[in-house]
Amino acid sequence: MASVTDHTSLRDDRRSSGRMSALRLIFGAALLLLVLKAVGMLPEWLNRPPDWLIPPYAQWLDAFFNFIKGDMETGRPGLIYLTRWFSEGPLEFMLNTTANLLEGKRRWPNIGPISWSAIAAVATVIGYYLGGWRMAALAGGTFFWTALVGQWKLAMQTLSVISVAAPLAFVFGLTLGIVAWKYNWFDRAMRPILAVLQTLPFFTYLLPAVIFFKVGPTAGAVATIIYAMPPMILMTTLGLQKVSPEVVEAGKMAGCTRWQMLRHVYLPAARTEILVGVNQVIMLCLAMVVLTAFIGMPGLGAKLLAMMNSFKLGRSFEIGVTIVLLAVTLDRLSKAWVVKQPEHFEKGTPWWKRHFYTVLGCGAFVVFLGLAYLSNRVPNYTLIEGANQGNILQYLFSVLGDVHRTQDLSQGKEIDTAIKHFLDLDGIQATTEWLRWFLNVQVLIPFRNALLWVPTPAFILVIAGFAYWLAGRREAIIAAIFFSIVASTGWWDRSVITLYTVISAVVLAMLIGIPLAIWTARGAAPPLSLQGSAKDFAIGLVGLAFKRIPVLFGALLVSSLYHFFTAVEESAAFLSPTSPSLYIFGATFLVLWLAVRDWPRDKVVLTIVDTAQTFPSFIYLIPAIMLFGVNDVAVVFSILIFTLVPLTRYTVEGLRHVPPEMTEAADMSGATQVQKLTSVQLPLALPTMAVGFNQAIMFAFFMVIIAAFIGTQDLGQELQRTLAGTDLGKNFVLGICVSLMALTFDITINKWARNRKAALGLE
Amino acid sequence: MNSQTPVISCRNVWKLFGADPERYLARMQGEKSYDEIRADGYIAGVKNVSIEVGRGEMLVIMGLSGSGKSTLVRCFSRLHDITGGSIEVEGQDIMSLTENELIELRRNKMGMVFQSFGLLPHRTVLDNVAFPLEMRGQDRHERRARALEVIRLVGLEGREEYFPRELSGGQQQRVGIARSLAIEPDIWFLDEPFSALDPLIRREMQDEFLRLQEMLGKTIVFITHDFDEALRLADRIAIMKNGAVEQCDTPDKIVMNPATDYVAKFTEEIDKARVVHAGALAHPLNGHVPDGQPVAARTTIHDLARRLVSDSGDELPVTDDTGAVVGVLNRQAALDVLMGDG
Amino acid sequence: MKLKSVLLAGAITLASGTMTLAEDSSDPIVIPIHNWSSQIVMSHVVGQIFESMGNNVEFVTTDSQAVYESVRLGDVTLELEVWEGAFGASFRTALEKGGLHDAGDHDAVTREDWWYPMWTKDACPGLPDWEALNECAHLFATAETGDKGRYLDGPVDWLKHGKERVEALDMNFTVINAGSAAALWAEIGAAEKDKRPVVVFNWTPNFAEAVWPGEFVEFPEWVDGCDKDPSVGPNPNALYDCGNPAKGYLKKAAWDGMQDKWPNAYEVLTKISFTNPQIAEMAKFVDTDEMEPEDAAARWLEENEDVWQGWVTGGS
Repeated sequence: MASVTDHTSLRDDRRSSGRMSALRLIFGAALLLLVLKAVGMLPEWLNRPPDWLIPPYAQWLDAFFNFIKGDMETGRPGLIYLTRWFSEGPLEFMLNTTANLLEGKRRWPNIGPISWSAIAAVATVIGYYLGGWRMAALAGGTFFWTALVGQWKLAMQTLSVISVAAPLAFVFGLTLGIVAWKYNWFDRAMRPILAVLQTLPFFTYLLPAVIFFKVGPTAGAVATIIYAMPPMILMTTLGLQKVSPEVVEAGKMAGCTRWQMLRHVYLPAARTEILVGVNQVIMLCLAMVVLTAFIGMPGLGAKLLAMMNSFKLGRSFEIGVTIVLLAVTLDRLSKAWVVKQPEHFEKGTPWWKRHFYTVLGCGAFVVFLGLAYLSNRVPNYTLIEGANQGNILQYLFSVLGDVHRTQDLSQGKEIDTAIKHFLDLDGIQATTEWLRWFLNVQVLIPFRNALLWVPTPAFILVIAGFAYWLAGRREAIIAAIFFSIVASTGWWDRSVITLYTVISAVVLAMLIGIPLAIWTARGAAPPLSLQGSAKDFAIGLVGLAFKRIPVLFGALLVSSLYHFFTAVEESAAFLSPTSPSLYIFGATFLVLWLAVRDWPRDKVVLTIVDTAQTFPSFIYLIPAIMLFGVNDVAVVFSILIFTLVPLTRYTVEGLRHVPPEMTEAADMSGATQVQKLTSVQLPLALPTMAVGFNQAIMFAFFMVIIAAFIGTQDLGQELQRTLAGTDLGKNFVLGICVSLMALTFDITINKWARNRKAALGLE
Repeated sequence: MNSQTPVISCRNVWKLFGADPERYLARMQGEKSYDEIRADGYIAGVKNVSIEVGRGEMLVIMGLSGSGKSTLVRCFSRLHDITGGSIEVEGQDIMSLTENELIELRRNKMGMVFQSFGLLPHRTVLDNVAFPLEMRGQDRHERRARALEVIRLVGLEGREEYFPRELSGGQQQRVGIARSLAIEPDIWFLDEPFSALDPLIRREMQDEFLRLQEMLGKTIVFITHDFDEALRLADRIAIMKNGAVEQCDTPDKIVMNPATDYVAKFTEEIDKARVVHAGALAHPLNGHVPDGQPVAARTTIHDLARRLVSDSGDELPVTDDTGAVVGVLNRQAALDVLMGDG
Repeated sequence: MKLKSVLLAGAITLASGTMTLAEDSSDPIVIPIHNWSSQIVMSHVVGQIFESMGNNVEFVTTDSQAVYESVRLGDVTLELEVWEGAFGASFRTALEKGGLHDAGDHDAVTREDWWYPMWTKDACPGLPDWEALNECAHLFATAETGDKGRYLDGPVDWLKHGKERVEALDMNFTVINAGSAAALWAEIGAAEKDKRPVVVFNWTPNFAEAVWPGEFVEFPEWVDGCDKDPSVGPNPNALYDCGNPAKGYLKKAAWDGMQDKWPNAYEVLTKISFTNPQIAEMAKFVDTDEMEPEDAAARWLEENEDVWQGWVTGGS
């Protein structure tokens, strides 16, 4: 035995020494290039790949796409005939049907629109069935809000596309998932494609969709379907693979044919994974449907864009809230559906009791349809003085059918003013001014310039070196190939800027997210006393700040609203003792504080970060610009919000799942809180944290493209530009650049996490 | 107990796992050992096994985990395709069956019970039990009636509408048993059916199982890793190790004459008196019938303890179920077994 | 109700006026909608006029650059706001490929250039002259730009050549590209409270004029060829050394097939012509009065019956 161990350790030693020398070689070469450049002796062709080396990928791709596309004008056959048939035939038919039912577009079957109250009632019943009163309130409340705030039609335009796209994505995803599970070669061929699809910026989905599927909802639906499909495929395959072999054998022994096996054994047994896939499909559809506003999908996203382009922050915010509510509702409902297990009924239960919720739902639907019909016969009461004012009951009855423009409760203008007011507060302005200066001048710009200064080969070497160091040789080779491809597209500088933005945002997010998560995971706040070590004190202070910051912001928002409505003269400084705003602020702070005081920390923190993430991504862009101006700080800031979520969540998760015997062992060894954290909890949580870190990077790559809306000089900007034309080749090349960089990180970090987990024996 | 033609008969069955097992087996010179095969990159799940199961017989295959017992039983129902040898079920080579014929065979002749039950989580007890019937296309009414019948048989009346997760482990396995019986199979495979249950329930289920078998008289292949269970239930026991059958015989003979050291390790700790029957220890009649109250061949030595100690004759007559004297039991030999010296 | 009767009246007059022409197809006329209010309302105005003539109309939201490709292919029937500065290039490209054509100009003129909100003038009284602006460059400096002034240009894909102009006229400014129109407004909005001087890219007609009064910077006057011939303009060695044309066109474009498929509607389209104040009014209904575009269009039609009735009936 002993000799065997010696052998392996010897081999390990040899391997690790080989690894060390390879690393030394890689970093040494990179350093040499840097030094050469610094002393001005680097030949230009080593700095950036020379033009003649750059193949015209875009033209090749254009030619390729053109070839497979075919040409409708000259009648050359190609894919476009098929796609156009699909989009103008079945797809348009389905879209028209849902559009008629939900928004009343004049198409077959010409029976819509279904009144909002009927839909809201059914949603409430479904909510109650799946998750009791809370879910009922959420589902009903969401639709109630949407209608009363005057966004019903917009929301239905969005939902009518989702209700076609999500089932189609589900069906296609399921089918492909089954095929991938059944045929190993298909799975192997599919994996890399899915990996690319999942990292491809959404702008890259949009243009081909328009070209092949006609502008408007059809293209939007297609882009949405493609975007939402990968997780469905993966979850289906995973679920089917996980079906217990005994269940499979039981099916075989029951004499199932192949089809019966799939239909009656595999699919039902994989229900949970498939439903998780459904949940993801729905969420991705919702996210994408908003983004497809860029290619002309009507609905909430288009309205949001239009509102932002006419600088209506209040209305944008309201639309954002609607989208968040819809997202949360659909998410929670579908998640409740995942865990919902069938209940048995005792023998002899009457029919209506067995189908109680179906009966209730249909009943509510019919009743509210009737009420809506009656409601459309009464005058449109409003709650506004003078303008056909009615009492609250009259008002509610008169809006059951249709909420007219005069009847909605939108507070767009008021919120507008409140937001502007809030952003104008002296304290905030001063802070952001300083941050802007510090981050931009001291951090971001020097960092960017430094990255841009690095010669391309050195850059690739360093990336590959890191991949080698973290993951292994295979990953290093992949990294080198991927980045070399990026370099060979000729979009190197823009790619580096994209990468720089991503790295900056993720690093900043780590600086905020990890302490936040550590504090969250620690349950009870450490005592804020000076007796502990200075570090403990600092951690306590950070924790205190985090729990109070949301409360603080809430209070600030309320007081600035008050400030606006009471039209206190500008001179009444906020902090002066006579300022009523100060007292309002204090009182709100107290109330909010009391309200969330008993919430467990993770609930407070995760609720906030989750909500922040569910807001449609580009809603942050305007406040970011108003706070920081059009520059990289605003860009990094808007990405940061998104990257914070996975970082926080996975760090909390990782820390929580450190085996208790290990922390107990640390306690018994007399470790201080900080020692325990740094030498037991964090190292063990690291693999899980890495998964979060990886997701953060993926989110950042996603957001950085959207941040082109603020004004960047990266790939996103070029991508956005291609949307305006028919530059399919260029669009694709840019998308692939983003995808390859993202994949490099994805592959490397995942491998590292797996290695780590294996080394720690955590799985 | 064996009838004339075996229900299952397998000859020189091999099941190898690895890259290209058929070719490997075809090229194999002589018979390699388990470890040699493993060194070549293959795992011998079943290694040159020849065994027969007679009609109405209960064959228990016993072995530790990884011994190949589950693989062997899956070869019988062709859940695994064998690598070499032949398996005949009721005279038919199952490897020659087409997919449809195989499905027909399983739909009409075979039932199987699994260690972790293998219930379909989305179906009620009733629907789980009726599942094989549904698969073979029986109409709704008929299959419901039959399913209710089997559910009653396993003592689960009143739980028809429950879902598997709402039942205890023992109850879930009753569902598994009911399901496997729904099609009235001739051959019944049970793959460690009681291993996942806690000891008290296991005992209860074994009794229940014996009661059922009494009623139904099926041909049974029962897998277990529990030697006591095997002794308790089996007509014959096949003990497996590394894919091969070490010994296949009645419990009495295994206990008294373990064929290999490996088998002996199992029998060492066994209270043989509780296993060995008078019949097994008896000599054939040698012309004369000894005096004294006869003992039934089916009684264990343990049950005869008082009699053996108090009796004074050297030999006791042994009678079969019909009461006819079939042999002679040597009292001293029986006492040796009782004292653990046998 | 009132609106309906107006439309009905329109339909009747139309019926008597254009009966001589061929029938319009019953397929919907597809009108594109973009993301700025005047265009949306104008599209609805025209759409409602078409509907009053008995046509079916459908609105699709599209990208304002990609739309020309769609018009060319007939996915979209027409385009009502072709801005010379912003969309001239896309329009001309599509025109060359064939499939769409110029359906006449609006009366309205468009202008796009460097612009500042009125409060900037307090700090830099020499405005709107560009040389005065250059003198005040330090007022527009920010942390990142050092002592140079900061000019927020439109998104790069609008091709406004801000950088080239700064170089050509040797101005003391750094050009930053916003990513979207919204980014421009956010920048102005952020500067509003402190009345911080800003100079950004802007255009007319536009809702922003109503929210923030302001002026265009007067650059050396546009001369044809300024973007092609270095010798034109004050700097003999550089392109883009003049301001943008102060009176750019605002065109309508139509799919080539429209004339045959909907002859009556096409006839009306060629006659349609809005003026700057009319467009501003449409935008105002939505931007300031917070009306929905459909309602705003109905209201506009109601209030300007004399204007549009002429297009519908005045054919022969």
